[in-house]
Amino acid sequence: MLTEALLIAFFVIGIQLMVPIVLAALGEAVVEKSGVLNVGIEGVMLIGALATAFIGITRQTVLLAIVVAIAAGVVSGIILAALYVRRGTDQIVTGLMFNIFAVGLTGTLHSRYIAGQNGVTLDGISIPGISSIPWIGEIISKQNAMLYVAIVLSAGVWYLLNRTWYGLYARSAGERPMAAESGGLDVRRLRYPAVMIGCALAALGGSALVLSTSGGFVPGMTAGRGFIAMGVVVLAKWRPRWIFFHALGFGMTQGLQFLAAQLTALQVVPKQFWVALPYLVTVAAVVFAPGSRYPAAVGIPYRPAGKTA
Amino acid sequence: MSTATSVIQATDRRELPTWVRTVVALGGTLAATAILVTALGASPIQVAKAIYTGSVGNSFSISQTVITMGILIGTGLAAAIPFSARLWNVGGEGQMTFGAMAAAVLGIVLPETWSAWLLIPIVMVGAMLGGAIFAALPGWLKARFDASEIVTTLMLNFVAVNAAAWIIFDVFPEGFVQKTESIHAAAELPRPIEGWLLDVGIVAAVVAAVVAWFIVRHTRLGFSIRAIGANAQASRLSGIRTEKVTVQTFLLAGAFAGLAGALIVQGRDHALLQDFSANVGFVGIGVALVARLHPVAVIGSAALFAVLRVGSNSLQAGAGLSPVVGEMIIATFVVLLMVTGVIKFRYPEGADAH
Repeated sequence: MLTEALLIAFFVIGIQLMVPIVLAALGEAVVEKSGVLNVGIEGVMLIGALATAFIGITRQTVLLAIVVAIAAGVVSGIILAALYVRRGTDQIVTGLMFNIFAVGLTGTLHSRYIAGQNGVTLDGISIPGISSIPWIGEIISKQNAMLYVAIVLSAGVWYLLNRTWYGLYARSAGERPMAAESGGLDVRRLRYPAVMIGCALAALGGSALVLSTSGGFVPGMTAGRGFIAMGVVVLAKWRPRWIFFHALGFGMTQGLQFLAAQLTALQVVPKQFWVALPYLVTVAAVVFAPGSRYPAAVGIPYRPAGKTA
Repeated sequence: MSTATSVIQATDRRELPTWVRTVVALGGTLAATAILVTALGASPIQVAKAIYTGSVGNSFSISQTVITMGILIGTGLAAAIPFSARLWNVGGEGQMTFGAMAAAVLGIVLPETWSAWLLIPIVMVGAMLGGAIFAALPGWLKARFDASEIVTTLMLNFVAVNAAAWIIFDVFPEGFVQKTESIHAAAELPRPIEGWLLDVGIVAAVVAAVVAWFIVRHTRLGFSIRAIGANAQASRLSGIRTEKVTVQTFLLAGAFAGLAGALIVQGRDHALLQDFSANVGFVGIGVALVARLHPVAVIGSAALFAVLRVGSNSLQAGAGLSPVVGEMIIATFVVLLMVTGVIKFRYPEGADAH
């Protein structure tokens, strides 16, 4: 039976699942706008998740856990940018290898130090006025601070890309790098911070995943959320506001598997179908994203004129 | 002699020879691994010993390594062939899973009374078809809708894993163990050496690599694959039907991934196991790259990766480390081969100019 309580729980879970995807997709949008495809996003999310769980378990402070996760994301970003941008290695392959590396690194650290332990989590925030609204109030007041961080960062990424000199220059590096260089810009120097920002946001997404569940780490817990975020970016045409709403759709789709566990009407198909559905929806999204087009220079390493390295 | 396909750049004569840079990358990987395991509180010497004894130390581990090598040849080819056409099939994992599913289902439902001469090839071909069909979907979506094959193949990996879970837990469950019923004994690959786990799957894998080489080098499809890899635009203008070739390339890649799945089910496990893969589909991408996308060279790089992969399994007992350390070594090696320029992709002329 689809009861009111069940429906509210479904929305609570759906929005919680949305948040990591929003954060990762915002990061990926910044990276791709500068002309770099960061397939390593999945690995960065895993690293952010592990860092959060590690600090949460050993130090019991949420804020420090988030800060360390972001720092781990920035370090990942520096490494990836050195490869993608400075050295000009193939972005797709480098990203995939980074993901394999991250699976190994997080798996090793997890089994050695924090296996089976739960750390700190974030509680829901009750906002006076809103929490007394029926249904919506109940759904909103169960959401933790990461939802509001994601909302603020959506606006922040929009502002960065569309209202700052850096956003303008980075976009030119993503569309017409040679023209950007002719205009006196250093393409590689523009891409560096984009990769670092993108990785910091992806790591924060991993952090949100941990802080909204048990506070512990599970190997492979990101389960393709980074790749889903890449699909969301295509579907949203790299626009932060759209990213937010499309990610909500994916969060709700992921939430269906929990609804299916309670609702006999959804059990006519195997439960694995509901787990697989978000991935199928992502496939459909990139197939049918109308008029969506990657920034022209995405995926191609840029070699400045006159330099052969 | 250049082993490079047109997607991978031939070595620039002014630079250090490839073998020197390979040695540099290998040295860097060893140094990085030594630093890493020391930081984790283990001894690099012990790690090296554990990997050695765990991979080639006795008949059991040698069997495991050779079996894994066969599987990695399959997933390596599943990456090498499409990569040669600049099609980023990163769905080898899912295609292999689909092949393994097909092998398990056929091995269970086909009549038990059929002889091995009939069952073994039918199950194997069924697995290859399963992988091929599952790969054709992203291929067709790429050809028809220009959907990013990176995103679609990555996503379909997760779909395959869940489909396999359904087969394992709901369709052919085996009590409370996380695997399906066993396939018929007549569908199992024979183990020619008395007392060894080693099966004949490696022969099928090596044959597959040679066939793949022949297709890429000496057939019309292979020519089209290489032409598209060199310049898709020019290929289209000169009359190559790139959409058709894209789908065919994915079919071929999926068949090789499906073969890997068959080797797992018919040779190694004799059933479909939950988490049977442990990322060998993704490791296949590394195998293809270290081979610089050359199908026959895939045999050698699969051997190297198999040693690392199987050897890492004994790290827990031998050095107190998680087996996934092997993952890090493999990824580091591939990245350093790119950094040193051994693996260097060519991009279409003026692609970054616009």
